[in-house]
Amino acid sequence: MTKRPRFGLYALVILSVVVSFLPIIWLVLTSLKTTEGIYAWPPQYLPDPFTLKNYINIFTNSPELLLYVLNSFIVALGCTVVALSFGGMAGYALSRLGMRRAGVLMVFILAVSMFPPVSLLPSLFQTFLNLGLLNTYTGLIIAHTGLFLPFTVWMLASYFATLPPEIEEAARMDGMGFFRIFWSIVIPLSWPGFVATGLIVFIFSWNEFPLALVLMTQNAMRTAPVGISLYPGEYAFPWETISTATVIAIVPVLIITAIFQKQIVGGLTAGAGK
Amino acid sequence: MTEVKLDRIGKKYGAVEAVQQFDLTIREGEFLVLLGPSGCGKSTTLRMIAGLESITSGDLTIGGARMNDVDPKDRGVAMVFQNYALYPHKSVFDNMAMALKLQKVPTAEIEERVGRTAELLGLTDYLQRKPAALSGGQRQRVAIGRAIVRTPKVFLFDEPLSNLDAKLRVKMRMELQELHDRLGATSVYVTHDQVEAMTLADRIVIMNGGVVAQVGTPREVYDHPADEFVAGFIGSPAMNFLDLARDDTGRWVSDCGNLALPALPADTGSRSRVRLGVRPEHIEVLPEAPGPAPLTYPARVLLAELLGADALLSLGIGETRLLVRVGGADHPVQGAHLAIRLNPAQLHVFDIDTGRALPRSAAEVPPR
Ligand SMILES: Nc1ncnc2c1ncn2[C@@H]1O[C@H](COP(=O)(O)OP(=O)(O)OP(=O)(O)O)[C@@H](O)[C@H]1O
Ligand SMILES: [Mg+2]
Repeated sequence: MTKRPRFGLYALVILSVVVSFLPIIWLVLTSLKTTEGIYAWPPQYLPDPFTLKNYINIFTNSPELLLYVLNSFIVALGCTVVALSFGGMAGYALSRLGMRRAGVLMVFILAVSMFPPVSLLPSLFQTFLNLGLLNTYTGLIIAHTGLFLPFTVWMLASYFATLPPEIEEAARMDGMGFFRIFWSIVIPLSWPGFVATGLIVFIFSWNEFPLALVLMTQNAMRTAPVGISLYPGEYAFPWETISTATVIAIVPVLIITAIFQKQIVGGLTAGAGK
Repeated sequence: MTEVKLDRIGKKYGAVEAVQQFDLTIREGEFLVLLGPSGCGKSTTLRMIAGLESITSGDLTIGGARMNDVDPKDRGVAMVFQNYALYPHKSVFDNMAMALKLQKVPTAEIEERVGRTAELLGLTDYLQRKPAALSGGQRQRVAIGRAIVRTPKVFLFDEPLSNLDAKLRVKMRMELQELHDRLGATSVYVTHDQVEAMTLADRIVIMNGGVVAQVGTPREVYDHPADEFVAGFIGSPAMNFLDLARDDTGRWVSDCGNLALPALPADTGSRSRVRLGVRPEHIEVLPEAPGPAPLTYPARVLLAELLGADALLSLGIGETRLLVRVGGADHPVQGAHLAIRLNPAQLHVFDIDTGRALPRSAAEVPPR
């Protein structure tokens, strides 16, 4: 390894950071502008005058936003917990218990996850209607879990594959059964993998739109992305309200990501080296 | 009685026969070493005894009971793994106590037994640490301690020292030896390090390609290798081999013609060609030939390497090359002319086609 700074690499990193952050920065800036500022020509880059009015307005005019965020949180958390539980057990069985045709099954799981969710909507809607699951947390949690479980299984199975098998063998010789090995050895050792996978599933579920739109039809049950998208009024497009609501909807995800950041980096690079 | 009996045990992975017809009785209290090159099936054999690998054919009995389908934890065996395989998220104490906890041994007794084992292995001060905070040697001791606290009938070791540096390996080897003397439990130890095998073993099993090549005490496998593979595998540097053909007068002559032996100390039967084996440490080096003498040949030093106490000479006798070990002090230098003498009692003769050692015939040994 050379110690000389590699300017090309840094330039590339900075460029990609700017490109991926620009929309979010623009969103935050927009949420801090007045309506005139938003429509000003030539465009304002920095808010002038700078205002927090939008935030105050949104909490007074549309308090349901907090409800949307809460709904999203409940659904995303429920989906993450269920997906990690089932995905963990399935992934462990597929990667470690010497199942016959485990590889075929893994490919099959992947293939199933390739159906576009929209194609499932009509039949899913009818089924949920019959089961009385429309407009319930349980319903959307089930739908989202079904959507993201294949990904969870794949992520966790490949994480388990990086653990040295001798630890589990030693546990078998010590007298643990499979479930106990999974619970008290594999899960603690795979913690980074669970955190990384869980975060990604949480964000997927948080952002999911079509199923949330169709399966949650009552205003009080809407998730944040759906609720915010329904803001546009009849005559005007309320940019300041939408950008402010979106910033608020991002905050919980940001907080969670910040809390688990260390584990994510560990989880995403684990297995890359000994 | 904890005799371990392997009755024609075999293991197949699909079409690959990893172990074939392994037939051996390991005696009570014996320290048995499985030795062989990489991929010869040592670990597979050990893991079949442990119960981590199913047995394809044959019967395994431990202490008289058939174990083929018994769960690993109920076989009364404990295993020490090459990479320690400690539970990284548990303390040293919990690592050692796990098996006892699972057996529902009373807490007071667990503490007593773990404490005693920790003392035996010098781990008392580390009981509350996590494995990550230990050195390699300490981790290996914890792994051994975890096996000992269970008071198993049989200890299994899979290359337990190969992750340690050379110095620590020697130290741990001696500790293992003392431990075995103290505990006296039947042990099966896998290694590809012949020094470990020679020093630790009561008996060595040398494996080659999934098949047992020879079973014997360290002395036996060194002095009387059953075939060319064992002869070349045991001993360092490896035994010299050269092909000899019988000429019209009944002498055995090397292909280049410079080495001729009037007779061989083995029952060659009607063979006209055999392979001769002689260890580097069994060739005597003399100052340049004083005159013709039996089994004495002029040689030239092609290369001399000083190892410290010893030196290795690469000698040329005509076209034939022989590696010879001599004392390191004032060893002959490159280009020197000298003579070597072979001792018939230390020559090994093998069949060229099968590689089997030919039986010795004391009668034919000529006087020195
Ligand atoms: N799960 C498996 N599937 C297929 N073949 C296997 C499997 N495990 C081992 N083998 C094969 O069985 C043979 C014996 O393997 P084994 O691990 O017992 O060798 P070893 O003597 O312990 O070697 P080493 O010194 O390298 O550890 C090898 O040829 C190996 O490729
Ligand atoms: Mg091995």
